[in-house]
Amino acid sequence: MSTPEENAPEVVKEPAGRSSVADAVCPACGCLCDDLTVVVEGGRIVDAPGACPLGRQWYLADHSHAGLPAASLAGQPAELGAALDRAAEVLATARSPVVLGLTRTTSESVAAALAVAELVGAAVEPATGEDARSALLAVQRVGRVSATLGEVKNRADLVVFWGVDPIVAHPRHWERYSVEPRGRFVPRGRAGRTVVVVDAERTATADRADLFVKVPASSRLEALAALRALVRGTALDADRVARATSTEPGTLEALAQRLQTASYGAWFVGPAAGGPGEAEAALCLVRELNAGRRFVILSLGAPGNAAGAEAVLTWQAGYPTSVSLAHGFPRYLPGETSAEGLLARGEADAALIVGEWSPESLGPSARARLEQVPRIVIGPRATAPGTSAAVALDAATYGIDAAGTVMRCDGVVLPLRPVLKATAATDSELLRALEARLNVLAEARRS
Amino acid sequence: MTTLRIAGGRLIDPTHGIDEVRDVWIADGRIAAPPDDPGARADRTIDARGYVVMPGGVDVHCHIAGSKVNAARMLRPEDKRGRETPRRNGLRSGTGGSVPTTFTTGYQYAGLGYTMAVDAAIAPLGARHAHHELRDTPVVDRAMLVLMGNNHAVMDRIRAGERNRLRDHVAWLLGATRGYGVKVVNPGGIETWKQGQGKLSALDDRVPHFEVTPRQILVELARAIDELALPHPIHLHGLNLGLPGNWTTTLELMRALDGHRAHLAHIQFHSYGGSPADTRAFDSQVPALAEYVNTHDGLTVDVGQVLFGDTTSMTADGAVGQYLHQLTGRKWISHDVELETGCGVVPIAYEDTNFVHALQWAIGLEWYLRVDDPWKVALSTDHPNGGSFLAYPQIVALLMDRGLRNDTLKRLPERVRARSGLGEIAREYSLSEIAIITRAAPARMLGLEHKGHLGAGADGDVTIYAPDDDKQRMFSLPRYLIKAGTVVLDDGDLRPSPAGQTRFVTPGFDPEIVPQIETWFARDSSIQFANFPVGEDDL
Repeated sequence: MSTPEENAPEVVKEPAGRSSVADAVCPACGCLCDDLTVVVEGGRIVDAPGACPLGRQWYLADHSHAGLPAASLAGQPAELGAALDRAAEVLATARSPVVLGLTRTTSESVAAALAVAELVGAAVEPATGEDARSALLAVQRVGRVSATLGEVKNRADLVVFWGVDPIVAHPRHWERYSVEPRGRFVPRGRAGRTVVVVDAERTATADRADLFVKVPASSRLEALAALRALVRGTALDADRVARATSTEPGTLEALAQRLQTASYGAWFVGPAAGGPGEAEAALCLVRELNAGRRFVILSLGAPGNAAGAEAVLTWQAGYPTSVSLAHGFPRYLPGETSAEGLLARGEADAALIVGEWSPESLGPSARARLEQVPRIVIGPRATAPGTSAAVALDAATYGIDAAGTVMRCDGVVLPLRPVLKATAATDSELLRALEARLNVLAEARRS
Repeated sequence: MTTLRIAGGRLIDPTHGIDEVRDVWIADGRIAAPPDDPGARADRTIDARGYVVMPGGVDVHCHIAGSKVNAARMLRPEDKRGRETPRRNGLRSGTGGSVPTTFTTGYQYAGLGYTMAVDAAIAPLGARHAHHELRDTPVVDRAMLVLMGNNHAVMDRIRAGERNRLRDHVAWLLGATRGYGVKVVNPGGIETWKQGQGKLSALDDRVPHFEVTPRQILVELARAIDELALPHPIHLHGLNLGLPGNWTTTLELMRALDGHRAHLAHIQFHSYGGSPADTRAFDSQVPALAEYVNTHDGLTVDVGQVLFGDTTSMTADGAVGQYLHQLTGRKWISHDVELETGCGVVPIAYEDTNFVHALQWAIGLEWYLRVDDPWKVALSTDHPNGGSFLAYPQIVALLMDRGLRNDTLKRLPERVRARSGLGEIAREYSLSEIAIITRAAPARMLGLEHKGHLGAGADGDVTIYAPDDDKQRMFSLPRYLIKAGTVVLDDGDLRPSPAGQTRFVTPGFDPEIVPQIETWFARDSSIQFANFPVGEDDL
């Protein structure tokens, strides 16, 4: 008899100073493959056999903190303590701070950032983009019929890729989850599934599919509406359908037919689901396809830990994104309380950015405002030369030299197995140090 | 040694048959025998003269953490507006409504005088996420029951007749998920629905592909749990939840479990007469079912009381989610989890003008009143399914006051009085009986030896109420809550407080089964076997 073993990382010592970590989780795309072996030699990652090109690029990038200061103030190396003091002062005196980033770090760090945000009354918004936030609103209106990826692997005999090209953007999705795996009810794997790609042009994924349906991007909403009507058995004029959706006559009718002959269908969309209208139309179509068969809709997933950031926000603050804590309690009025809106309207006057982040998730006016306000950046190599942050704190990289957990887009939480010895503090540690300073400041103000 | 004395209160400790004025001493977080020296002083003394002193409340069945709860939070921003709690006194902010945020959940349970809550339905693959939410649920101790009634490996072992392997699998799975007990929801029925094969409605129907029956799943899991001597018996959500005529299946299921310990959850939802074909015949069948419970030991129930108002239904029984969506037309989240379960979330409003809802309300109350021995009943709303746990004091008031029940009955649709005998029941609960169904009995059902009573060595979890003729007010606003010896609720004021603990079991098993489990897991799961077990860091 025994008790369950701890899931300690399996570090295999190999000759010549090489070691490797098995079952590592790769955050390079939304797949969050957790089956990678990462090989380390001389304190550097030298190989990641089995990783896709995105994964190799991630693992073999420069993750070293050598030569970087732990902290910098306006680009000048600084003592960590002084930098934390300055960060606390900036946030405590700001009238309307925003917290950004959060999608490329652990769920534990998101929780640490939220504790800081609450102390300073910030608006918190994971960097998922306007369309992805709108897609969440669609779920809040109509719900979602979905499943974990293992359900797709075990059951799906029809797989639809709607306006997405996983072969390029989610390279191992096809082999691990959606198409090739042999599942309990799909023992023949690829041969047991029909793969349909709907897109504006023939893509790499379309080339490997059983059926390619050409629908211009601008007609996807109309096409979803037509499919929904057809699935409901509404008599539609084929020529009018073709004209309204810019498709060949009969194409959508055949697709609607095919959807209904599935016994278990899986419908994949991108992280932004094509924006709010399209997102809602697809959610409704898939929901209705459940009359008579099973059908689920899943996102291919945003890179990193976007799902984890939204989940932590939801369980701690009640809402998945755009949460304002300015009134001392969580408020969620999309647009009004979004960091994007606060920046674009020039109201935001300081920013805390957590984890690797690029401003591309923001619109142009929000981005312009962000450049004008003091920014505190906590993330891997944040103190690299050229930073324009008011305060930059170098942090360990999640999954590389920082532990914690991340959530896959289907809600499955995975433990990270850091492969390198940490030489920088984690962002969780830095955020907790910042929180402690803010508490001291608040105490001083009270007395 | 830190000591606390609760002096001069009316101590109600049904486990020890106590209802009298008596001091309670707590030393280093645990209940201690009073010192021999009558003049001994404690570090702190709470003057409880005129107050009622009980053990901390224990919730045997609620849904407060994990993917389905968080899906419900995400789905329903409209449920939270105006129900936010601000940051204050070092307590975290949050949102309320039918599905509160984690910090708020912990504070609300503490504010209600509860010190332990058990989430009753966690999918194995969702265990790590659920533990993360429980970690963020302050003050109360907590535990989770792990879903196993539609588990592919469980059904495979049963089909192969491998009882020892089944028992080892259950033990391994509880340890790997850091679970406290085993939950079974619609055994085999969720899997059947997930296959698109409709529903199972009888105990001897067959689960397609797995070729086992709900009866086999129930009985074999109950046997494995008894053999492992787990502290909590099989925790069961049966077949046909919510459907007219389901009481016959419920009775059959009770009989099938003869010889085993079992807990039947939210029994209210399983006690309906009539038939799916003739919903007009819908009536209460509590008398027959309660009679069975009264005459058979080893069976306990929690009620799953329905209260009027808006709430969110959530269940691992994905088919029920779909049914409710079709019935109400409201938004619906369904989320199937590989190798085990489904999950359905639909907003729902129970209306006192609606015959079915009103009858469900009456059926719930009948359960509390028709089971003779209160040790066999736990107070629950199946939070948030029948209503929020914040409604518990309302139920207490209804149980203690026949007049209040009859006043409510009067304004309900007339047919309710013909279809439920609630109006004729004269029984009124005593304070001691309320203490049984809110703390002593649920603790005993859960096998929590240190909860639910105030004998020496018990956890220092004590609730102090100000007596009030308005029992709803009395139980809504305890004056003090002591958790593990720390005064958490101090004269009505919630203080920054200890984190609480997650309770779990790690039963032993034959390590030789692990390779077999790994082979199955590697073939059918979407994650690596090594990444499945929950670790200490997750708690």
